[in-house]
Amino acid sequence: MSTAFSADARNERVGSSHEPANSGPLERFSYDDAIVRKFLVAMLVWGIVGMLVGLIIALQLALPYLPEVKGAKPLSFLYETSWLNFGRLRPLHTNAVIFAFAGNAIFAGIYYSTQRLCKARMWSDKLSSLHFWGWQAIIVSAAITLPLGITQGKEYAELEWPIDLAIAVVWLGFFGTNFLMTLVKRRERHMYVALWFYIASLVTVTILHVFNNLSLPYALAQVLSGNTPTKEGFVKSWPVYAGVQDAFMQWWYGHNAVAFFLTTPFLGLMYYFLPKAAERPVYSYRLSIVHFWSLVFMYIWAGPHHLHYTSLPAWASTLGMLFSVMLWMPSWGGMINGLLTLRGAWQKVSQDPVLKFFVIAITFYGMATFEGPMLSIKSVNSLSHYTDWTIAHVHSGALGWNGFLAFGMMYWLLPRLFQTPLWSKKLMAAHFWIGTIGMVMYVIPMYAAGITQGLMWRAFDESGSLQYNDFVQTVNAIVPFYWLRALGGTLYLAGAVFGAVNMFMTWKARPAAYEVPVHSAPALTPFYSDPPRPASRLGEGNLAIGHDADVFVQGWWHRVWERKPIKFTLLTLLAVLLASLFEMIPTFLIKSNVPTIASVKPYTPLELHGRDVYIAEGCYNCHSQMIRPIWAETKRYGEYSKGGESVYDHPFQWGSRRIGPDLAREGGIKSHDWHVRHFENPRQLIAQSIMPSYKHLLESKIDFKDTETRVRAMAMLGVPYGEMVKEGVASAYAQAQAEQIAADLVQQGGYEDMQDKKVIALTAYIQRLGIDISKPDDWDPYEKFRDRATKILAARNGEADKVASSTTKVNSGGAK
Amino acid sequence: MSLTQLMSQAGLWIFPAIALVLFLAVFVAVVARTFTKRSRKEGEEAAQLPLADDAPLAPAPINTSRPARTSR
Ligand code: HEC
Repeated sequence: MSTAFSADARNERVGSSHEPANSGPLERFSYDDAIVRKFLVAMLVWGIVGMLVGLIIALQLALPYLPEVKGAKPLSFLYETSWLNFGRLRPLHTNAVIFAFAGNAIFAGIYYSTQRLCKARMWSDKLSSLHFWGWQAIIVSAAITLPLGITQGKEYAELEWPIDLAIAVVWLGFFGTNFLMTLVKRRERHMYVALWFYIASLVTVTILHVFNNLSLPYALAQVLSGNTPTKEGFVKSWPVYAGVQDAFMQWWYGHNAVAFFLTTPFLGLMYYFLPKAAERPVYSYRLSIVHFWSLVFMYIWAGPHHLHYTSLPAWASTLGMLFSVMLWMPSWGGMINGLLTLRGAWQKVSQDPVLKFFVIAITFYGMATFEGPMLSIKSVNSLSHYTDWTIAHVHSGALGWNGFLAFGMMYWLLPRLFQTPLWSKKLMAAHFWIGTIGMVMYVIPMYAAGITQGLMWRAFDESGSLQYNDFVQTVNAIVPFYWLRALGGTLYLAGAVFGAVNMFMTWKARPAAYEVPVHSAPALTPFYSDPPRPASRLGEGNLAIGHDADVFVQGWWHRVWERKPIKFTLLTLLAVLLASLFEMIPTFLIKSNVPTIASVKPYTPLELHGRDVYIAEGCYNCHSQMIRPIWAETKRYGEYSKGGESVYDHPFQWGSRRIGPDLAREGGIKSHDWHVRHFENPRQLIAQSIMPSYKHLLESKIDFKDTETRVRAMAMLGVPYGEMVKEGVASAYAQAQAEQIAADLVQQGGYEDMQDKKVIALTAYIQRLGIDISKPDDWDPYEKFRDRATKILAARNGEADKVASSTTKVNSGGAK
Repeated sequence: MSLTQLMSQAGLWIFPAIALVLFLAVFVAVVARTFTKRSRKEGEEAAQLPLADDAPLAPAPINTSRPARTSR
């Protein structure tokens, strides 16, 4: 009997309770597959969008090398348009593929498998639907704000505060509640290991998101300083952390986002969908449990490996390295477990592209989790960090592991969700092959590029000077690899498009009405008694504690609480939270971790403006500001960076990639004129530069009315601005410095009337980078334009006198 | 004295070390218990869960017999 389903029969009881006390009355229910269909379609649509953006930014790095055709470079608009430039689109690419493609894939898989593993419909259809639409709305708002330069300036956490709030609500409020309540209401007593992975992901991602995004919204700063919030107030914020602490937070977040957004949920999917597709149970369930606990216990400590040789305290980065290396073992345990699940089924693998997708995915999981620990070893890291090696590593994980697992799952689900055979098995096989070739063509050139770059940066000639002194030489060398990478990416994207065609055609062949099978299972009752506590196996004469230990080792406690979702969740939460706190508290509270430097002073108000331009343009996507204490590096860039130098940096801008040179000591090296000319179009000065043009910064204006609030916001976060926060002072100083630079510009090369343009603020900021430590302790950053600022203030006060004959003389002393 | 100075003198560095040891201890306990005999049998049962979860009252998951929608 198969009943098409009416809404009120979704969770219907059958008969009364004449079953034994251990199980409740038989209940009838059906699964909500409509929500799975939605998430699956969203996954593929956003996946294609995200990959397309990836392809565009890949081309941006190669296109400037094309010869001119009829006096213009082909497709140059791609790197000369403000909202298309690399610094803005790269965050869009990463956010789209992580949170939209992988995110929707996770949700599709979780909604499908959780219902079945729990023998229960999702707790609330309304929450499922709010979750779906809420998440898509977040993605759309990301796609709008990021190209506009609205960003927090922290990798993979770029979205601004109102969106962050929405993410918290949708993730924990809608998805979390719905998921956990489904677990509570489940009809299968044992929680299968996939569910554990989902729980850990849910919990940890919440913590990561909340703590990394703690920030002072601009709107709040405006209110606190007595103004009404403006539009800008809702699209700008500054993290409460600065410098070393912000870096630590960010990479604790960044690394664990990889762990708990791209690894654990996908492992949950693997442990569910692989046995399903192979039609055999996982090779070793116990290994999967060990796999789970190892990841939960170890991953959370590994973040600092992103910050080797930086100003992070040494103990933290060594700890990060140790745990990263330890992670290799359980990860491979998981890989082997996955592959051995297919033992005796390799015949099937050769015929079923779904299993092929899974095999490649698991293999890439193994490769990426071997490479990760390797890259976290300091000596390897000194070569690989800041190069394209990182990009290769990330993409072997993302394209291979996440992408192929998602696609395998998709092809397994399509006939089941649309209740009709897959439109074309051939096209699915074609997707598999073109995707695999694309992946290899992406990853190998990027390894080559990364190693080439790393070796060139550190190469010395016989005379002991840098062999490739000019940074752009090291860019020239890898552009051919950039072309190959773009080609590989195109193939991979083509595969995804095959998938979309297949999905669309399968959908078209769906039945007129979906069949909704009815299932039945006894309810769980609260009267269920867990197995009794086992007796100790030790003989008489042992201490009580010995008996207790033996009982503990028999693991009865684990069996009991692994069935209790809420307790299980709380314990996972505790494990993750404790590890994080223990790791972070010392960094935040021990003074010796970030030694202060007396000559390091806060940025001037104009530089602060410039810094916000730097963040908005996403310069950190191409430029680091962190010179490592490595010979080749101090030789190229100057004195290595100290932790005390970025204590006023909310957010830190150390960066993680050097597509362009490090800028930590850029201040004072070149003239203002050079910088403005370079921003206008880098190829005016360096023919082979692949840096985007920033023409728009020569046109758009600095909003000096903003200056006060920006400075006050920094002061609220603890930056010592002294007198500068008083009404009118900061803007006068900003204006004075801008006029000063504009006057210099006229002298140096002829740019006129620039005193209110954003490029001036940016130049001011760049010229400040890294100069403080070579100054005397009592130097005055305002010296050059203090007189000018005093005059502006006096003039303004004079005017105010005329208008409202009452004045409070503002001290123009400025800040120290 | 600021909080930072106070905390600097409190010898907090010992906490990560203790936490580390605790973590390892719990972890070892979990692994040890996972490999007890009893849990093997349980594991084998649990491993069947994903395979047994899709049997409806009347099986009709993949429907090929019905006519597809022709026009939309
Ligand atoms: C696509 C990556 C990319 C982005 C985005 C980018 N740059 Fe660059 N940048 C480069 C490359 C490559 C060079 C080296 C070639 C050159 O000098 O043009 C460079 C050079 C520079 C230099 C000269 C350094 C020196 O001393 O030779 C400065 C200053 C600079 N960039 C600042 C910025 C700022 C500020 C931004 C953001 C508004 C930015 N860059 C965005 C790639 C980038």
